Amino acid sequence: MPPVAIKFDSVSKEYRLRRRLARAGKLHDAKDDSIFFALKEVSFEIERGETVGLIGPNGAGKSTILKILSRVTVPSRGSFTVRGRLGALIEVGAGFHPELTGRENVYLNAAIMGMRKREIDAKFDQIVAFSEVEKFLDTPLKFYSAGMMVRLGFAVAAHIEPENLLVDEVLAVGDTAFQAKCLNKIAELKEQDKTIVLVSHAMPSILQHSSRVLWIDHGTIQAFGDPDETVEAYLRTVHKHETTAGADNPSVVPDSPIKIAGVTVFNANGESHASLTYGQPAYVDIAYTVTSPIEDPVVSLTFHDVRDFPLGGITSRFDGVQLDGCLGTSTIRLVLAPVLFTRGSYGVTVAIQDQRIQRYLDMRPRAATFMVDGPSVASREVSGHWVLPHRWELDQRGAA
Amino acid sequence: MLLPYMRELGENLHLVLSFARRDIRAKYKQTIFGVAWAIIQPVSLMIVFTFVFSLFARVPSEGVPYPIFSYSVLIFWMFFASCISQGTVAMTANATLIRKIYFPRETLLLAVMISASADLAIAAVLLAAMFIYYKVAVTWAILWVIPLLALQMLFVLGVILITSAIQVYYRDIGHALPLLLQLWMYASPVAYPLSSVPDWLKPIYLLNPMAGIIDGYRSALLHGTSPNLVYLGTSAVVLCVVVGGAYLVFKRAERTFADVI
Repeated sequence: MPPVAIKFDSVSKEYRLRRRLARAGKLHDAKDDSIFFALKEVSFEIERGETVGLIGPNGAGKSTILKILSRVTVPSRGSFTVRGRLGALIEVGAGFHPELTGRENVYLNAAIMGMRKREIDAKFDQIVAFSEVEKFLDTPLKFYSAGMMVRLGFAVAAHIEPENLLVDEVLAVGDTAFQAKCLNKIAELKEQDKTIVLVSHAMPSILQHSSRVLWIDHGTIQAFGDPDETVEAYLRTVHKHETTAGADNPSVVPDSPIKIAGVTVFNANGESHASLTYGQPAYVDIAYTVTSPIEDPVVSLTFHDVRDFPLGGITSRFDGVQLDGCLGTSTIRLVLAPVLFTRGSYGVTVAIQDQRIQRYLDMRPRAATFMVDGPSVASREVSGHWVLPHRWELDQRGAA
Repeated sequence: MLLPYMRELGENLHLVLSFARRDIRAKYKQTIFGVAWAIIQPVSLMIVFTFVFSLFARVPSEGVPYPIFSYSVLIFWMFFASCISQGTVAMTANATLIRKIYFPRETLLLAVMISASADLAIAAVLLAAMFIYYKVAVTWAILWVIPLLALQMLFVLGVILITSAIQVYYRDIGHALPLLLQLWMYASPVAYPLSSVPDWLKPIYLLNPMAGIIDGYRSALLHGTSPNLVYLGTSAVVLCVVVGGAYLVFKRAERTFADVI
């Protein structure tokens, strides 16, 4: 068994929410202090060479774990050990100064991250080449674009070469080409048997890189294990949470002649509130109520990932479908045949618009959420949120 | 108890220099007068003092022309004031860094002192010119400036170790400082000689460490007299203990800086 690189032994971290001055002045009893537990008795071990994904909702305790690991703060109780040097790709470029040049900032930032002058000298050219900002090296940083700054920051951080690396939400930086470079750097670190702790809200990048996933919520560990299973269990709670929240969303337009009465997603077997299956059909039923006659309304659906990032949408107008404008409640069904989403959790926002698709008559953000069982990005064989209809053609010359 | 901290600080001396370089470079970037500001500030005060204290109030200046009488210690006072004011806010000014990355926080304080020393060195060039202009005799006693400066730096460090830590929790200190420094200057023999202080007040007056230090500079530079060695030695010992204690307090507070800053 490989040696343990990072170990947490019933670590707790609490924050006092009331200001200390008030307490010192005896304005409040010490017992009144509202204590917020960011972490409660958290214990885990990470072996050397592992890449562990850290997931959980905002405020769950992810960044507290990172802060303790990087020694920015100390646990209130419990102990932890980190074997070997630890580097953090947290908020790249936190130490940058706008008035200094790119060159000066590389030296400053590298020194803050614990590199020696000699080390920086040796790696300087590599860092600059990685960052792709050679031409602006002697320009003050304040004239850099946001992208250039991020690239320079990542370039410095990626060359610290610690035994343990913390990566916080930085895979989403830069353009696609630079991202590919960053991913290669992370793959390289993995091959060198470095231990990596990865924090991200983007489940695809967690799945692609992690060998195990640690799910934390309300300061306690919910699960620590297989990436696919853990991510799915986590998404299921997000999903449950949001269906209930979305149900009593007030209407966008108060006195609209047409209202969305309900949105339900069915799988191929006609079951609602069940997982959809990739390659199988699925149905979205939209019930709506018309209270006064309306000319040619348009229904539109937009699909979202778990973070509400829109993935794509369709309107009834696009397909030339006319809604039934009769008074009373009617239902229109969207048939997805087949479902092409990759494995994960999704949501759909439904809106009804006027005939020119300009004005919203009613809208239900996240009217329904659903899970999809299908190819996982963890396999690295597919990427993103859906697989387009496609086929491959092989050049037949070899066979002939 | 202090050793592990000092060892870690020793390993981070290059970081101190990096921060100092940043502070020095950044200070005068995008200014027209640049480093000249290091001279403009004490010179303007010298001019004001010369008018108010020498011309109008006729404050005695121990037989030395008043401009050099005041400028010779003003540069050390300015060094003190800028160390204190910038040192106190050193943590809060670098809050984003402190929230994100660990490094020994006292490196920021040492960097402030180094960058203030650079200003002092520039301002001292003008003092040398004034020595020639006013034909003040230079004696070996001038070397007493070195131990006095060391003593002053030790005192400054002790003060900012505490004030910078307090500033993280209570920003009040940052607001109070400009006023406090002003009062402190008038409570030190910067604009007037120590000899003008009535004897009955001296025991209390000299409790201010800057009083002895400022007077020490002036005696060594202008009058060629060495400071009171007993006083100097005792101060050094007391300050070492105080700074050691302040360092421990600072390191203790440092652990939760990121939580409250």
